[in-house]
Amino acid sequence: MTEEIFKELSQAVIDGNKDKSIELTNKLLELGIDAKTILDFGLLPGMDVVGIRFRDNIIFVPQVLISARAMKSSLAILEPLLSKADLKGSGTIIMGTVKGDIHDIGKNIVSMMLRSSGFTVIDLGIDTKVEKFIDAIKKENADIVGMSALLTTTMGYMKVVIDKIKEEGILVKTMVGGAPISKAFASEVGADGYAKNATDAVKLAKQLIGIEVKENKIE
Amino acid sequence: MNSRERMNKAMHLQTADRVPLMCQLSIGHYFLHSGIDPIDIWFTSEGFAEALVRLKNKYSFDGVLVNLPGRDPDYKNYIAKIEKNDDGSIVRWKNGNYTVVPKDDNPHYYQNDGSRYFPSFDQINPDELFYVEPWDLTDITYPFTWGFENEVRPFDNFFPDYHHDTIKKVLERSKGEFSVHSEVFSPWSQFLELLNYEYALMAIMDDPVKSKACLERLTLGAIALGKEQAKCGVDAILISSAFAGAGLISREHYQEFVLPYERKIIEEIQKDFNIPVYTHTCGSIGDRLDLMMETGTNGIDTLDPPPLGTVELEEAKKILDGKVFIKGNIDPVNTLLQPDEEKVRKDIEWRLKTGKPHGGYILSSACSIAPYTPPRNIEILIELTEKYGKYE
Repeated sequence: MTEEIFKELSQAVIDGNKDKSIELTNKLLELGIDAKTILDFGLLPGMDVVGIRFRDNIIFVPQVLISARAMKSSLAILEPLLSKADLKGSGTIIMGTVKGDIHDIGKNIVSMMLRSSGFTVIDLGIDTKVEKFIDAIKKENADIVGMSALLTTTMGYMKVVIDKIKEEGILVKTMVGGAPISKAFASEVGADGYAKNATDAVKLAKQLIGIEVKENKIE
Repeated sequence: MNSRERMNKAMHLQTADRVPLMCQLSIGHYFLHSGIDPIDIWFTSEGFAEALVRLKNKYSFDGVLVNLPGRDPDYKNYIAKIEKNDDGSIVRWKNGNYTVVPKDDNPHYYQNDGSRYFPSFDQINPDELFYVEPWDLTDITYPFTWGFENEVRPFDNFFPDYHHDTIKKVLERSKGEFSVHSEVFSPWSQFLELLNYEYALMAIMDDPVKSKACLERLTLGAIALGKEQAKCGVDAILISSAFAGAGLISREHYQEFVLPYERKIIEEIQKDFNIPVYTHTCGSIGDRLDLMMETGTNGIDTLDPPPLGTVELEEAKKILDGKVFIKGNIDPVNTLLQPDEEKVRKDIEWRLKTGKPHGGYILSSACSIAPYTPPRNIEILIELTEKYGKYE
C-alpha cells in the first residue's frame, strides 16, 4: 500500500499538484513513515523525472515551477522532522545573482533543481555583493558557490567573487551560468565549472564534489 | 537612395542598393557612449531622442528603434534629491521611493524598503488591465498608472500626451531620411512583467482561463498604443516579445498564450495603417519560426545564433525567405563584445553573404548591443555592409 502512495506522491510532484502532494505527504506520516524515507522515495524521484523531462525539452519552465512548488510544500511539512544530517544531504551550495543584476528566474530554477537533488541551497537572491558571498560561504561551510548573471554588464563581477575566494584561500568550488555565459568565459574568470541549464547545473554540482553522476533517461 | 528608402525596401522583401544596417543598442550603451548624462537619457524625451540620433549617426545605422516611452516633462517636481556614486546615481523621490541609475545599465525603481512591487495573480481583475509599461518611471503599478499620477486614465484616453514625445522628436530629426521604429510590448511580455516572471509562468498553469482573460485585455492596450504610434508617422512597429522562446515556454504554450494575441495586434494595426509590424523574441526560437509567421508578422528580429539561441541564419533564410524580413543575427556577446576585430569581420562578412540574397535582410545584432561592446566593432559594420552587402 505504501509503495503505491509513494508512486502517487512522485506523480503529484511531476504533475505540479501541490494539494495532492501535501495530502499524500501527510498520509505517509500518519502511516508512520519517517520524513527521510518520504523525501527519498516520494519527492526526490518525482523531481528526478521533472529534471530529465526538462533537460530533454519535454517540459518547460512553467511545469518545472509548479513541480518545484509542490515539492517545496511537502518539504515544508517534512523539514521540522528531518535531522540536520538528513538536510545536509549531498552538500551545501551558496547561490546568488551577482551585483548589479536583478534577474533571478534562472538562478531560482537551478536552486530548486539542486534542492530537489538533495543539496542544501542557501539562496542569497539578486544583486549580491562579494562580501555577502564570502560571508555566506564561511558561515555555511559551503562546498560550492553558484553565480548567475543575465547581463553582459554584470557577468564580469563573477571574476571579482572568484578572485576574492582565491585571495582568502577559501576551499570552495565555483560554478557559473546565465544567458551570456559560456564555457570559455567560465575558464577565463577561473570558475571550476559552467552549466548551460538547470539539469546540467545539478550534474556539474555533483561532479564538483565527487558524487557519481548517472545518465538518466526516461521513455 | 536614403536610409529610410533602403529600410523600406528590405522590410517589403525587396532588394535595395545594399543591405540596410540597423542595430538595437542597450540603454547602457547609450549611457556610456552618447556623451549625454544617463539621467537625461532615462528621464527625458529630449535626452533619449538625442542619444538615439547621435549614436545612429556615429554608427551609420539606417534606422532607430524608439524603445522607451516619452517622459513626463514635469518629472523633476517629484525628485527629493539625487545622489551620485561610483556606480552611477540614485534618484530619491519625494514619495520615499528611489530609482537606481547605473552608469552602464537600465535603471530600476524601488519601493522605500528596497523591494520591487508586483501584484499577486489573485489581486488581478482582468477588466482593470489595458496596458502595462515596464519602463514607466515608477515601474509596475496595479491598476496601472503613469509615473507619479494617482488616478488610472480612462482606457479610451490611456496614453498621456507626452508618451509619444520621443518618437515625435526623432521623426523631426529624421526628416524622412532614416527609418524610425516604435515599440509595443506583447501581451505575453506585459503579463510576465506585471506578475514577475515566475508567478506569471505558474499562473498559466494554475488558471489558464483567467490568464487568457488578462492577455485579451492587454492586447487591447497594445493595439491602441500601436495605432497611436502609427498616427505619429513611424515607419514600422516592433512587438517586443522577449520571453516567448523555448528557453521558457513550449511550442504549445506559445500557440495558446502568445500567438493569438500577437496576431490580433498585427491584424488590427494593419487594418488602418500600411506599415510593417515585426516581432522581437530573444533566445531559442529556432523551433517556432513557423508559429511566429502564423501571427502575420512582417519580420523577425534578433534570431540569436548558437550558443545564445538556436537560429542558424542559413536555416532561417530557407524558412523565412520571401515571406518575412529578417533582422539579425550577429551574436552580440560572443562576437561583437569580443576584442578580436578580425573575428568580427569574418563573422559579419559571412552573415552578409548568407542573409543578402533576394533581399529582405537587415544586418543587425541579434539582441541589443551590450554596453561595453567596443565602439570600433560597431563602427566597422557599415564598412563591411558597404563592401559585402551591395546588390548588383
